[in-house]
Amino acid sequence: MIGFLQWTFSGVLIGLLYALIALGLVVVWRSGRIVNLAQGEIVVFGGFVIGTFTLLFSQVWWVGLLISFGLLALVGVLVERGIFRPIVGQPLLSLFMVTIALILVFRGVTLVTWGAEPRSFPTIFPAEMVNLGPFGFDSALFWGGIVSLLLVVALTLFFERTKWGLRLSAVAEDHQVAEALGISVTTAIMLAWIIAALLGGFASIVFLNGKTLTLMASMIGFRGVAVAILAGLESVRGVLLAGIIVGICESWARGYIDPYTGGGMSEILPFLIMVGVIIWRPQGLFGWKIIERV
Amino acid sequence: MLPCGTYPRTYNEDKAIVRTRLQWLLLLLFLILLFTAPLFLPTRYIGIIIMMAIICLAVIGLQITTGYAGQINIGQAAFMGTGAYVTAYLAHHFELPFWLTVPAGGAATALVSVIFGFPAARVKGLYLALTSLAFMFIFPFIFLRLPGFGGTEGLSIKPAALGPVTFVGTTSLYYLIMVVSVLMVFFAYSIVRSRIGRAFTAVRDADNAAEILGINVFYYKTMAFVIGTFFAGIAGGLWAYYFRFVNTEQFTLFHSIWFLGMIIVGGMGSILGAIIGTVGLRGLEELITYLGPILAETLPFIGGKVWFAGMNILLGAVIILFIIFEPRGIVHRWNILKATYRLWPFPY
Repeated sequence: MIGFLQWTFSGVLIGLLYALIALGLVVVWRSGRIVNLAQGEIVVFGGFVIGTFTLLFSQVWWVGLLISFGLLALVGVLVERGIFRPIVGQPLLSLFMVTIALILVFRGVTLVTWGAEPRSFPTIFPAEMVNLGPFGFDSALFWGGIVSLLLVVALTLFFERTKWGLRLSAVAEDHQVAEALGISVTTAIMLAWIIAALLGGFASIVFLNGKTLTLMASMIGFRGVAVAILAGLESVRGVLLAGIIVGICESWARGYIDPYTGGGMSEILPFLIMVGVIIWRPQGLFGWKIIERV
Repeated sequence: MLPCGTYPRTYNEDKAIVRTRLQWLLLLLFLILLFTAPLFLPTRYIGIIIMMAIICLAVIGLQITTGYAGQINIGQAAFMGTGAYVTAYLAHHFELPFWLTVPAGGAATALVSVIFGFPAARVKGLYLALTSLAFMFIFPFIFLRLPGFGGTEGLSIKPAALGPVTFVGTTSLYYLIMVVSVLMVFFAYSIVRSRIGRAFTAVRDADNAAEILGINVFYYKTMAFVIGTFFAGIAGGLWAYYFRFVNTEQFTLFHSIWFLGMIIVGGMGSILGAIIGTVGLRGLEELITYLGPILAETLPFIGGKVWFAGMNILLGAVIILFIIFEPRGIVHRWNILKATYRLWPFPY
C-alpha cells in the first residue's frame, strides 16, 4: 500500500512538471494556432543557459538566474520578431513547419555553443529529499510542483482578469476579430513566446536540478505535447489535471508494468494516452469545442 | 506552361507525363546517364547517389501525404524503419528473395500506418502530426522488444539475390536500387495525376468542397497516409539491403524532420520538388561532411565539431527562410524559369 501511494504521489509531482511544460505549449497555441513542438528544446537550451550563468556567478547565483531569464525572454522576442512576424496569416501547415525548424535551430545553437557532452546542472533547490511521513520526494520536483501550481493559478488569473490577458484570450479566439478590435496579434504572439521561454527555463530547473544535463532531456517536450492534448490545447488550468493524470499513469506503469516489459512502457504511455484522446475526445478534457468532423 | 503548339486532344494526352519528343529524348538521355553512372563515377559518388535514391523514395511518400493531401507526418523515419525491420525479418528468418521481402515490408508498413492514420483522419486539423509523432516513440519500443527482431543489437541480413546473381558490391546494388526507384517514381507520378491524386489535392485545398463533390474525405486522408508510408516502407526495405543491418538508432525523429525539410525546400505538392529537395539537402549534407575537416584544418580556432553541429542551424534556417520567402519551394522557381524561356521573346 505504501508502495502504491509512493508511486501515486511521485506521479503527481512528475505530472506537475509535465503541466509546466504543457503550459508553454498552451500559451503559444492560444496566441495563434501554433503547436510549439520546440518546447523541449527550449527546456534544454534554458538549462544550458541557466547552468552557464549560475556557474559564472557562483557566489551570487540568483544574479546569474536573473540574467538567464532575461536572456530567455530575449530569445522569445527574437523568435517572434525573426520568424513568426513575417508569416502571420500563413496557412497552419507553414506555422507547424516553422516550429519543427525551430527544434533544429535550438538544437544547433545548443550544440555549437556548449557541445554535445553532458554536464552537471547546478543544485538550485536543496539536494536532500523532502520527507513527509513515510514518503520521500525529490525536493526539486516537490518545490517545483508547488511553484507550478501557483504559476497555473497566476496564469489563469492573468488570462481571465487582467487587460493584457483578456487581449491574449481574444487573440486565441480569432485573429481577425482581435485585429479589428485594435489588439495587436504580433504583440500577443511575442508575449506568448516570452512566457513560453520563461516557463521552459523554470521547467529546466525543476527537471534537472542537481542532475546531468544532456540533449536527451528535450524529449520531455513531447510528453508536454501529450499532456496539452489531453488538457485541450486552449485550456490553461486544464493542464494541471491532465498533467497529474498523465504523471500518475506513467508512474503506475513504471511501478507495475515496466518490470514485465523490460522497461520502456512508462516512456511511451503518454503517447498512447495522446492517441486515445485523439480517438475519443479530440478537443481534450477542457478544450474549446471547435473540432470539426469532415 | 507547356511548349508552344502542344495541346491535348484526348484525356489520355491530357494526363500524359511526357508530352513532347524533346521530353522523351531528355528522359531517355537521363535514364542512360543514370544507368551508366557506375562506369565513369567513383564508388564514393555511387554510394551518395544510392543514399539519395533511398531517401528520395521516403520523401516522395511524405510529399504525397503532406504535399498533396495536406496531412503532416512527422513519423516518416519510423515508418521507414518499420519497412526495414519487416524486410530484414522476412529475409533473416525465412530467407525469402528480395522481390518478395521489399514489397512485403512496404505492405506491412502501410498496414501499421492505418492504425495511426484513422484516428487523425476523422477530425479536421493537424492531428496526423501528433499520432505520427506518437508512432515515432512507439516504434523503437515495439521493435526492441518483439522477439525475433534482434533487440538492441538489430538485425543483419544476407545480400539480395536474384537467381545466380547476388547484389553485394556498391555497383550491383546501385542497379537494383535504381530500378526500384525509377519504378516507384513512375508509380508516384501515376498516382498524383489520377483521380486519387486529384482527390488528395481537393482534400488539401478545401475539404468541405471536396466532401460536397462526392470525395470521401476520411477515406482519402487515410489513403494518402497509407500510400505515403508504403513508399517509406519500400525505402526502408532498400535501406536494409544496402546496409545489410537494421537498428532502431538509424531511424530517429531528426531524420523525419530532415524529410519534412526536404519537401519544403524542394516545393510542396510536386514529385519533382521532392526529388530536388532530397538531392539539394542531401548534397548540402555531403558537402559539409566533405568540407568540415578541411575547414577545421584551415580555421583551427573554431574546432571541427562546430561544423557538424552547425548543420542543424543551417537546415533549420534554410527551412525557415524558405517558408518566409519562397513557401512554394525551388520547383516553383524552376517552373517560372521554364515558362520564361518557353515564352521568350514575348513577355506573356
